[in-house]
Amino acid sequence: MASTPTPADDVSLVIVVVDVNPYFWVEKANASTGTSDIDFEQFLQHVLAFMNAILLLNHMNYLAVIATGSDSCSFLYESLAGESVSDGEGKPPSKRMNKHHTPSAKIVRGLKDFVSKELAFKTERKDNGKRYSLLSGSLSMALCYVQRILRQDPPHPHPRILCFQGSPDASQQYIAVMNAIFSAQRLMVPIDSCMVGSQHSAFLQQAAHITGGIYMKPPHPEGLFEYLMMVFATDLHSRRFLQLPRPTGVDFRASCFCHKKTIDTGFVCSVCLSIFCKHHKECSTCGYSQVSHHRKEAMIHQIFKQILAKKWWKC
Amino acid sequence: MPRLRVVSRATFMDMVASLPASKLDRLYDSHWTCQAILRSLTPLAKQYVMRMLYIDAPIPNKSLQEWVLPDATVKHKVAIDKLEQLRILVDVSERKKEVTYRLNPKLQNQLRSVLKSGGGIPRDPMPSSIVARLPTATELENYAIQQWELVILQLVNSASGEGPTAPLNKFIQHIFQKAGLLTSRENETTSRITEAGFQFLLLERSSQLWQIIREYVSAAEERGLDNGELIGFLLELGFHIVGEPYNMNTLTGMQQKAVEELAILGLARVQQGMKDRWFIPTKLAASLSTNLSESSSWQPTEGFVVVETNFRVYGYTSSKLQTETLRLFVRLEYQLPNLVVGSLTKESINSAFASGINAEQIISFLQKHAHPHVAPKVPTVPETVSDQIRLWETDRNRLQLLPAYVYEDFPSMDIFQAVVAYARDIQGLLWEDASTRRVVVRGELHEDVRSFLHRQNTASSQRK
Repeated sequence: MASTPTPADDVSLVIVVVDVNPYFWVEKANASTGTSDIDFEQFLQHVLAFMNAILLLNHMNYLAVIATGSDSCSFLYESLAGESVSDGEGKPPSKRMNKHHTPSAKIVRGLKDFVSKELAFKTERKDNGKRYSLLSGSLSMALCYVQRILRQDPPHPHPRILCFQGSPDASQQYIAVMNAIFSAQRLMVPIDSCMVGSQHSAFLQQAAHITGGIYMKPPHPEGLFEYLMMVFATDLHSRRFLQLPRPTGVDFRASCFCHKKTIDTGFVCSVCLSIFCKHHKECSTCGYSQVSHHRKEAMIHQIFKQILAKKWWKC
Repeated sequence: MPRLRVVSRATFMDMVASLPASKLDRLYDSHWTCQAILRSLTPLAKQYVMRMLYIDAPIPNKSLQEWVLPDATVKHKVAIDKLEQLRILVDVSERKKEVTYRLNPKLQNQLRSVLKSGGGIPRDPMPSSIVARLPTATELENYAIQQWELVILQLVNSASGEGPTAPLNKFIQHIFQKAGLLTSRENETTSRITEAGFQFLLLERSSQLWQIIREYVSAAEERGLDNGELIGFLLELGFHIVGEPYNMNTLTGMQQKAVEELAILGLARVQQGMKDRWFIPTKLAASLSTNLSESSSWQPTEGFVVVETNFRVYGYTSSKLQTETLRLFVRLEYQLPNLVVGSLTKESINSAFASGINAEQIISFLQKHAHPHVAPKVPTVPETVSDQIRLWETDRNRLQLLPAYVYEDFPSMDIFQAVVAYARDIQGLLWEDASTRRVVVRGELHEDVRSFLHRQNTASSQRK
């Protein structure tokens, strides 16, 4: 069901969603099996070089970076295509260009602020051992950003989203993630995924399949940069001509809306199509109740019969 | 109908590609040129370069072929050819039969350092304490456009025949003559504009800029400047920040001279302070490194033309250049302070055709310079108008004159059929009529038909 658009040029808006869930990265570092794996610092280096490559490819490429933590997500960086001159008068933009203001430096600073905010957030609440990352929040933020860019004056860059995901899928986020995927499909924004963890993610596989993106789990993570160059740096125009990894099999099973378990067979509300594992009298999403519906129908039927029989209108 | 000489931004890159190998390699010493040249490639070629950036071992051609889908081999071939021309891909086949490539090592190193450090600017701007009287952004833009228009107006003035209002700059005139836009006659004081010149006027600003830069660079060789270095400087100029002053002392002598000449074109503005001189790049200079690739249709050109279905044309402009350009094919009726009103008539369009402009150029000019209010409308130029312009053009092509010979009074039908078949074979048959037994054949093939007839006659007389 690939619905990628066919753009005529390679000006792109790439939104990179980076999983910085500290639980995942610390676990990964502890379970590291030697040189065939990367830790967070190396991973960040690969990703920063990749972002510089995106900005190098075309002077009008936009780039935005969103960090996904376990409790929150926020923008780390947005680039402005075609630097504008000094804001107002007098203030020289030269500071923008020295080494403290390159994109990489800004991203690293933003990351430090984000992590410290996350820590503060955690110390406020009791730590309940969550290990998931807030993917649905980041996807929604990314799609809102895309909408904002698309509402500016034409011409627009061609947007796509790239997710670096390592944490496992959070089943309670199923509905939100699926909504985000369908919105992306509507907007024709492909969602690519690069898995840096040890397991596959059903959410992102479905996302790639539905929106026409690429899903990939690099077999040799220490060469991550080359995978990024070969596969994920390709713009939407060139993707029509290049051989890219094809999905092997997608897990399409849905999750029920009441317990968030993946199910093969279930019950479906006839009005809003929400899925339940047990038969419910009333749908929790739309409030449609089959029993009350039948009762109302029967009542209307009876009134009609009375009208016909007793002739309630005066002639 | 004279054909338009294809002048697009691509020809600048062709000129770069035609530099000798040593000069081209020297260009890759600066990572600004590497970046600019990378951005000028087609998207597919860019992807290839990025993929091979960190691979040192040579890659056989067959592996490169496997990167593309089977139905994209044409694009693949075009990309590889371009990369080879620019010496980005170097053939290191040695004695093996298979062709193997690797990236030019200098280019590779430069791009790797760009990836590590990110972009930047070639030189730091001067501190604001020394610099005084800096123009604001709008002032700078007006200056740039004004300079540019002065240059192009010289071309237009020789078109309309009136005397130039400002003395013609010899240097600019020389460039125009070299580009074939002005006639170069030594015994005349003023030059006339040529057909190519008319077509040039209708191009959009970036194409015009590139053509002039191209001629400037090729002319530089004659004046003793090293055109390789000049190209490198031009590409580097595009990376400076618009509006920031840069010290002239940081440039070499050749570069300083180039900046002064580019200032005439409106690419930079040179100012003098107490002790230093500095130059300020304008928007035109910034567009130098960004407009290189053919597929960039991204410049939001400031459109000013509205075309109505009743053939009226409204130009929201007060610039003399744009008015004169419209006057080439529109009959201008009113001119208000910010608006020019005219209509497309048969006479005005025909006079444009007579100058050598063709219909497609007029239509594409109207489309590219459409006012932002009508630009989103599809089609920007109403179909009635564009179709009518094309019809007026084909009106001029109704008659086609060819010298020909008429053959009649054939003794028999067989000979007639034989001659017709023969004429068709040598592709000289223009008209035949079996009832009156007449054939019309192209003039230049008359001798062949004559000898054929001779052979027929001798053959038939022998048979008798």
